[in-house]
Amino acid sequence: MQVVFAAIIGMLYAGAVYMMLRRSIVKLIIGLALFGHATNLLIFAVARLVRYNPAIVQKGDSAPIEPFADPVPQALILTAIVIGFGVQAFSIVLIKRVYQTVGTDDLDQIRGTDS
Amino acid sequence: MNSALAQPAPIPWEALLPLIAVATTGVVAMLIEMIWPRRSNDVIVWVCIVGLAAAAGCVVYHWNLPALESFGPRFDNAQGSVGGGLFLHDRFGQIIQLTLIATAFLTVIFSEGYLREKRLAFGEFYPLVMWAAMGGMIMATSRDLLIVFLGLETLSIALYVLAGLSQKDKRSQESALKYFLLGAFASGFMLYGISLIYGATGTTNVAGIPALFSLELPDPTAVNVAYAGMGLILVGFAFKVALVPFHMWTPDVYQGAPTVVTGFMAAASKVAAFAALIRFLDASMAMKDVWIPILTVLAVITMTVGNLIALAQKDAKRILGYSSIAQAGYILVAIVAWAKAKGMPNLTIGYETVAFYLIAYTVMTLGAFAVLSSAASKGKEGTLLEDLYGMWRRAPFPAAMMIVFMASLAGVPPTGGFFGKLFIFFDAVNANLVWLALILAVNSVISVAYYLKIVQATLRDPEVHPTKFAPVNVGLFATCFLCAIGLFAIVLFIDPLKSWLGG
Amino acid sequence: MLLAVCSIFALSIAAPFLHRIAKDYCAPLLALLPGSICFYFISLAPRIAEGKPVEEKWEWVPSLGANLTFYVEGLSLLFAILVTGIGTLIVIYAGGYFKGDAASGRFYSLLLLFMGAMLGIVISDNLFALFVFWELTSISSYLLIGYNHKDEESRSSALQALIVTGGGGLALLAGFVLLGMAAGSFEISAINQSGPEVVHHSLYPLVVIGVLVGAFTKSAQFPFHFWLPNAMAAPAPVSAYLHSATMVKAGVFLLARLHPSIADTPVFVWTVSIVGAMTMLLGAVMGAISTDMKRMLAYTTVSILGCLTLLLGVGVESALFAFGVLVLAHALYKGTLFLVAGTVEKLSGERNVKHLGGLFSRLPALGIAGSLAAMSMIGVPLFFGFVAKEAIYEAALKATNMSGLWIAAMVVSSALFVAVAILVGIKPFFGPEVRELTVKKAPALMLVGPLMLSVLGFAFFFLPDLLGKYLIHPSSAAVIGDANIIVLKSWHGLNAVLGLSVLTIAIGIVIYRFLPKLGSVSESSFAKDPFGAISVYERSLAGVLRFGQWQASTLQNGYLRKYILLTICVTTAFAGIVFILHTNWKSLHLTFDLRVHEAALIIVMVAAVAILVRASSRLTAIVALGVLGYAVALVFMLYGAPDLTMTQLCIETLSVVLFVFVLYRLPQFIRLSRRRTRLRDAIVASCVGALMACLVLVASSEPADSHLRQYYSTKAYEEAFGRNVVNVILVDFRALDTLGEITVLAVAAIGVFALLKLRPPADTEGAA
Repeated sequence: MQVVFAAIIGMLYAGAVYMMLRRSIVKLIIGLALFGHATNLLIFAVARLVRYNPAIVQKGDSAPIEPFADPVPQALILTAIVIGFGVQAFSIVLIKRVYQTVGTDDLDQIRGTDS
Repeated sequence: MNSALAQPAPIPWEALLPLIAVATTGVVAMLIEMIWPRRSNDVIVWVCIVGLAAAAGCVVYHWNLPALESFGPRFDNAQGSVGGGLFLHDRFGQIIQLTLIATAFLTVIFSEGYLREKRLAFGEFYPLVMWAAMGGMIMATSRDLLIVFLGLETLSIALYVLAGLSQKDKRSQESALKYFLLGAFASGFMLYGISLIYGATGTTNVAGIPALFSLELPDPTAVNVAYAGMGLILVGFAFKVALVPFHMWTPDVYQGAPTVVTGFMAAASKVAAFAALIRFLDASMAMKDVWIPILTVLAVITMTVGNLIALAQKDAKRILGYSSIAQAGYILVAIVAWAKAKGMPNLTIGYETVAFYLIAYTVMTLGAFAVLSSAASKGKEGTLLEDLYGMWRRAPFPAAMMIVFMASLAGVPPTGGFFGKLFIFFDAVNANLVWLALILAVNSVISVAYYLKIVQATLRDPEVHPTKFAPVNVGLFATCFLCAIGLFAIVLFIDPLKSWLGG
Repeated sequence: MLLAVCSIFALSIAAPFLHRIAKDYCAPLLALLPGSICFYFISLAPRIAEGKPVEEKWEWVPSLGANLTFYVEGLSLLFAILVTGIGTLIVIYAGGYFKGDAASGRFYSLLLLFMGAMLGIVISDNLFALFVFWELTSISSYLLIGYNHKDEESRSSALQALIVTGGGGLALLAGFVLLGMAAGSFEISAINQSGPEVVHHSLYPLVVIGVLVGAFTKSAQFPFHFWLPNAMAAPAPVSAYLHSATMVKAGVFLLARLHPSIADTPVFVWTVSIVGAMTMLLGAVMGAISTDMKRMLAYTTVSILGCLTLLLGVGVESALFAFGVLVLAHALYKGTLFLVAGTVEKLSGERNVKHLGGLFSRLPALGIAGSLAAMSMIGVPLFFGFVAKEAIYEAALKATNMSGLWIAAMVVSSALFVAVAILVGIKPFFGPEVRELTVKKAPALMLVGPLMLSVLGFAFFFLPDLLGKYLIHPSSAAVIGDANIIVLKSWHGLNAVLGLSVLTIAIGIVIYRFLPKLGSVSESSFAKDPFGAISVYERSLAGVLRFGQWQASTLQNGYLRKYILLTICVTTAFAGIVFILHTNWKSLHLTFDLRVHEAALIIVMVAAVAILVRASSRLTAIVALGVLGYAVALVFMLYGAPDLTMTQLCIETLSVVLFVFVLYRLPQFIRLSRRRTRLRDAIVASCVGALMACLVLVASSEPADSHLRQYYSTKAYEEAFGRNVVNVILVDFRALDTLGEITVLAVAAIGVFALLKLRPPADTEGAA
């Protein structure tokens, strides 16, 4: 499953990068969202996958029973998901604003150049 | 193994007070705006001034506190002690915190006239500046990469909003969008890097990295993952401090954002990010055989590209944008020299060169943007070089100060910028990087040309219609004055300051 | 010492205010200070002649070796007297020159700033202090040349001077730092006593390059000579003071001062001699074929500077003796001639020698000063210039190498000087009147300087013992020690040197006769830019600028996509290389056990991504993104992370709602990119994906032994009494992270609020 996971994560990254290179801002934002998913999965995978067993201390025990999923990356991902959401909400509102001000969602038209 | 676990350290409130003070100030400022919307500008400004002064007071009051780590498990494993607190309160952290507080303070006092002139929202501006400063302060003191990341996000998001503060201005919107998108991207890199470091070391605390490498036989896979994580984290930092080729947002964002925001952004985000970067690198010393060459290359291209492109610019803000890129390159030279010297016998280079340069950089950059902000009028930012013509006659004091700041940025003696560069040059030569020092010198020569453009513009008489300058208000006057004084004061007291910074 | 320098700086700050009060009497008042400092230095002469230098030390940055130390020996004394003495006269002269100009307060301020800095250069012992003063002179020179800032030409000349001398200054700094490191001290007096240490140090070549570039740019040596004639756009007092008597001599002064420690190598000797000789010839030729008085004087100054450099290259005792004599003589006669030329221009508006003549009847005092100075420059006996010329011939005769070549070069250039001197100092007054000129009356203040200097140039001929003992000899002794005493004599009797002098004057007069026939030369391209140094300068400036523009347009084109593309490529390359190099691929052990429901989930994810990438409507894309998000949530559930699943589900739902609401009114996706662009992006994206996949493989192939995992999972219940370890971590152990996270969210919320609160302005064009 590790190989499959790696492949899936790779695919998500590839999709994210491809979307981020489009001219539409909406696609860019979608790309960022994909990036977020990919990363969460990456963190998850790097911390080794353990099927089904969450890190929960059963009644009567003082520690979870091995093998259990590593709780620390989960906390990390939880933070990342929430922050990612904050960033995403912000970005969605931001593109709306930009669209209202500039009148396009084509990134190529939003540029002040040098020279 | 459990028996070796020590108790978490008690919470050191005295060290956290500055952070709390700044955050509270932001909240209070926002509440005031909510309770009495649009009628409370002066009150908010005063609240911010008092809050920041209190924060600075807290830092200074606990100045002699021994360096301590707070929040966190200090525990040992079979191989030795690992880990540490989330925060490290040491002299360097205090200095960077003070610098950030000063940056926010000056921004608060000089921005009022600008905001009024451009009719921008006061209510959002001040709290956001406070929180951005707080984010920076967190970055400067944290030992835990996750905390660094949170600080970075707090700083960045506040800055994204600030950049787009000018709702009617397309440039400002463009600036916010680009800054946000690329910034989010960079934060992404950083977070991935952090997760890889976690994967390798089992902790997000930077102390885990030396612990990993100090093992007798470090797990080769873990080592590789640590390298990859380090690389990604470096990319994240490279974005934030605008190293070439991760710099591309800088000029667009600097130009588009309201001038007061640009000044704050240029100073605060660079100082905070460099502080966090050098701490991270300090912990990653074991991997320096990889990152020193990378950073050296980045330093060279950053200085060169920044300076060369700046030559071709016509907008003062854009010039300063590129200049800040080049300046980041100089600081990177200092970092490379510091890292090289670490492995050498009989040679100790501490953080002091970097700290000194960061302080000088903050002062001169902030001053320059403060002066530029006085050129803004209702309709436009007024930062094209032509808009500055005639400044010498209309506003002699800011114009004279502008010359001082430009001279300092260019590294003209006897300003703070000159000594900053001189220290870097020395460190580089001492660390056997004579060629890098020479590249730095050549770059300084190139940079003179574009700083001079700004100086010439302020001295020139306008050809067509003179730009109206907003009347110089007390805040702007005070900021210019304080910055200029700062630039010379640090020169007069270099030795005490440096021993203090190294302390 | 420090008091002297600081008082001049203080006066510089006060000057504009003083000028506002005292108006036209300001200049004589201001001149009191440099005048008294000059007398102070003169009073030091007997003491220094006994070989007791004056030292003073103020600590500044001891850790760096940067201190304000002053060390006055013979050479410094000579220059200090020149700087303050001539400075006094120039300030007085400026009082007449700027009479009635209300804005001239700034001029005095800058002039005094320069004077203080220049004095600092000549008396500093510390390399850093010297450098600080050095750059200050460059800056004040820049501001003084560009004093008429409305004039485009003077602005660009000022810039040229600054770029050349300022740039050279930075090379000098590099040289200084390396010199200090090589010698182990940053005090010149200590460096000079360190013996051959510097010369044998591995950094020596870099030291020499740095110091020579600095000195050559400042002293306008070939190929950096071109800025000096162009700097003549400055007002006359500035030309006379900075660009003849003092600042341009800083370079040769520095070489002389560092001579004991760095000169003892063939590289130094040959570079300095050849550059000096070339500059000397070039300057003299250019001076003779020009017609603008100030340019002629500027070129001859270049020539004299070349001669001084050559003397340092020759380096024997009599050469350094001649160096002192020539510095003094040149300051006197060239200062006079500059002031005379400036006065003539100011009063008549004309500075082309072809158009000047017969002015003696109207400007008698000026005529006397001019002709006295010209005689000195020609080298007529009874003038100090004659003594100087004898001294340099004497030095060239004693040169150890190539003596004949140096003599020939000196004779040629001195002969050309004769022609220039006649044209500038004598012809305008005693020559036939060429055209009718309206000449104003000369203010008395403008006559003091030229008369005084020219009379001194005459008087000094009769005081050789005094000068030799107190000024010239100590100055050469400071450079090469006290070997044996050369006596300064005005008259050596009939010998080879005298023959050379006579020959020089004879050739000079012949040249003067034939010069008018060469008149057209001054218009040729050679005259404007000999050996193409200016065009090299201009072309390299333009080249740098064009390179900058090219970079700006390729790298910095404003296209966000390109920024992202470049970033991704660089990062991938950089991470990829490090990663691939450091990975031991064989040690990986891969697992591949997939269950049916997992496979189904993965197919859903692949499909979602595929649809997302190819979607042509926003709604499709958003739905696909939502599906993907839920799939990820399921993955979390399958691998023991129920908390993540809950969070992910909530957040995903919110995101989809937000997307649908906000993006409802945005336009359709249009396929904007060309096929090639898409292909390129797809390739880049695949590379990134592949790299990331490999990274995951490597990172997750070894079983982890996380200390934190152990720590938290055991402590969660023991210490925090929570059964869900993830929750305990978030709200207890790492509560601060969570607080930070909340802060981030709050800030984001405020951002959203700030963006939404104000309605978009109605007047924005293109609002939907």
